[in-house]
Amino acid sequence: MISLSDIPARSRFRVYAPMVVMAVALSAAPWWLPAIGLYQYLGIEIAIWMIFALGFNLLFGYAGLHSFGHGAYLGIGAYAFGLFQQNVAVSLWGGLGAGILAAGLAGAIVGAFVSHRRGIYYALLTIGFGQVFWFTSMKLYGVTGGEDGLLGIPRPPLTLFGLEYALRSNVALFYLAAFFLLATVLLMWRLVNSPFGRVLQAIRQNETRARFAGYEVWRFKWAAFVISAMFAGLAGGLFAMAQQSAYPDVMSLHQSGLIVMMVLVGGGLVSFWGPVLGVILYFVARDVLGGLTETWLLWYGMMFMAMVMLRPEGLAGMIHLGWKRLRGASDKPVILLAEKA
Amino acid sequence: MLDLLPHILNGLTLGLLFALIALGFTLIVGVMEVINLAHGSLFALGAYFALSLLGGMWFGDTAFGAWWLSLSIETRYVAALFVGPALAAIAGMALELCLRPTYGKAPLYGLLLTFGAALVIEEIIRLGWGTGEQNLMVPASINGPVLVAGFIYSKYKFFAAGFSIVAIFGVWLFLEKTPYGAIIKAGAHDSEMVRALGYDLSKLRLMVFGFGAALAGLAGIIMVPIWGLRPHVGIDVVIPAFLIIVIGGIGSFWGALVAAIMVGLAVGITGAYAGAWATMSMYILLIIVVGFRSRGLFGRKSALEN
Repeated sequence: MISLSDIPARSRFRVYAPMVVMAVALSAAPWWLPAIGLYQYLGIEIAIWMIFALGFNLLFGYAGLHSFGHGAYLGIGAYAFGLFQQNVAVSLWGGLGAGILAAGLAGAIVGAFVSHRRGIYYALLTIGFGQVFWFTSMKLYGVTGGEDGLLGIPRPPLTLFGLEYALRSNVALFYLAAFFLLATVLLMWRLVNSPFGRVLQAIRQNETRARFAGYEVWRFKWAAFVISAMFAGLAGGLFAMAQQSAYPDVMSLHQSGLIVMMVLVGGGLVSFWGPVLGVILYFVARDVLGGLTETWLLWYGMMFMAMVMLRPEGLAGMIHLGWKRLRGASDKPVILLAEKA
Repeated sequence: MLDLLPHILNGLTLGLLFALIALGFTLIVGVMEVINLAHGSLFALGAYFALSLLGGMWFGDTAFGAWWLSLSIETRYVAALFVGPALAAIAGMALELCLRPTYGKAPLYGLLLTFGAALVIEEIIRLGWGTGEQNLMVPASINGPVLVAGFIYSKYKFFAAGFSIVAIFGVWLFLEKTPYGAIIKAGAHDSEMVRALGYDLSKLRLMVFGFGAALAGLAGIIMVPIWGLRPHVGIDVVIPAFLIIVIGGIGSFWGALVAAIMVGLAVGITGAYAGAWATMSMYILLIIVVGFRSRGLFGRKSALEN
């Protein structure tokens, strides 16, 4: 099986081909989405989930920490955005800032608890905390509106350099989400290729050795948790804008499992772009399979099981291997080739 | 104090039922080192099979169906108590076959696979039995109210608690007093040695998974008349089971039992004072226990930590 280090994280360029492709595809989306029979809102949804997935993969793929309760931070971001609009001021930047801060704060508290654990115990504790947030959002009726959630969250206009743009249309909101997505891609790219990202990968490969190398491992694990929670909070704020509501369902175990499924199926374990592919695959499956059959989740679930059994490196890994084979390069280590010669 | 007694009884009953669910779960974790997130779905599956069997759902129009429905409800209930878990066991064994490629890899893959399986089973339940809430019939002889020490209590809850005690004792006897139990425990401790002694490890794993799934299905049939039966009941139930094995220590029989009773009592007593927050007490208990002892009350070091 290939791993993250096989698909080089560092490119010679700050911005490289997939980023350009993505930027072009995103900016043209309002034209090509309807052309292939899809709808504008889907673009917003995909952009939001990509932000969430890219942030999540810092923890899941790069640091090898398996959080199963990450839906909570998406939900916290959404609630914080909504509460800010309803109780403080109708402001885009304020709302998104509140979402990022609230999710980051929750992540900092939970991260302090879980960062000393590893393996399955890590996953178990993150499930536990995720459920606590979900449960609290259902029961704190006065603040969160209980099971109905917050309804009628406004879409505040975008104010920039004294100018104001309305975001009422889905196309306008899509461009905002796409802007944040591209910013996320650049930030994440910078982050995973920084010394910080290297340490996270070292922790994934061997935590004990990373500790002996002199790194205070738990601080890195904590920071990765907080950063990924903040990106989830940003995605949550955008989600509250898109849906104009925030509700407990977003925080459920199902939802948290979904992000893990997307990132793994896409190949987040082996590639920076895995989460992006995974999100596309999920939404294509939902809309294409969902158009054919009511039980599309059954088929998606089976595909996921097959993927875990046979190809845990996901779509990105398969593409990578296929590309290598196409170019005639061998998977085998160089030493074996030398022995043959 | 007497006002609290029904709540304590409720808590104890709930704890015993939780123990029944958690035992199968902890057995599978202990032997296979797989966190089976589909355990709750097998629980639901057992209950849904029993539902079909009691109502004669699949053979209603045939001669066999007419004969079957003419039998007394008690007979059909007892039959469902055997057949439901058996069918759940078959589903569990099928799941074990799917799990085989993940052995020897990080425990994460087992967790992910069983999460996918939980999703698939839930969708199959929606497909086969519909999305609405169902009601599992219970024979009148174990249903209805009963007067205990001056207050009215549900007869069925007494039955459920008693049944759980018997089943848990049965599992203990099986694990402690039979050669099969010895092999299973040895397999959990040192699978290499068990294989070296000539036991077929893959058969052992299949059996353990089937046994754990049967326990889940049995727990489903017993618990669902109290909890209600809906397609996502699996997720609702796997979470307490999960918390229990973490509190008790992963893979420990006594840990699961003690933690289940603790969780049951916590839920029961919280329910007396702040009903809405009853479920939350489990998580608080988890965070307290794991905060002090990361491996849980009776936990030992295991491969799951890597």
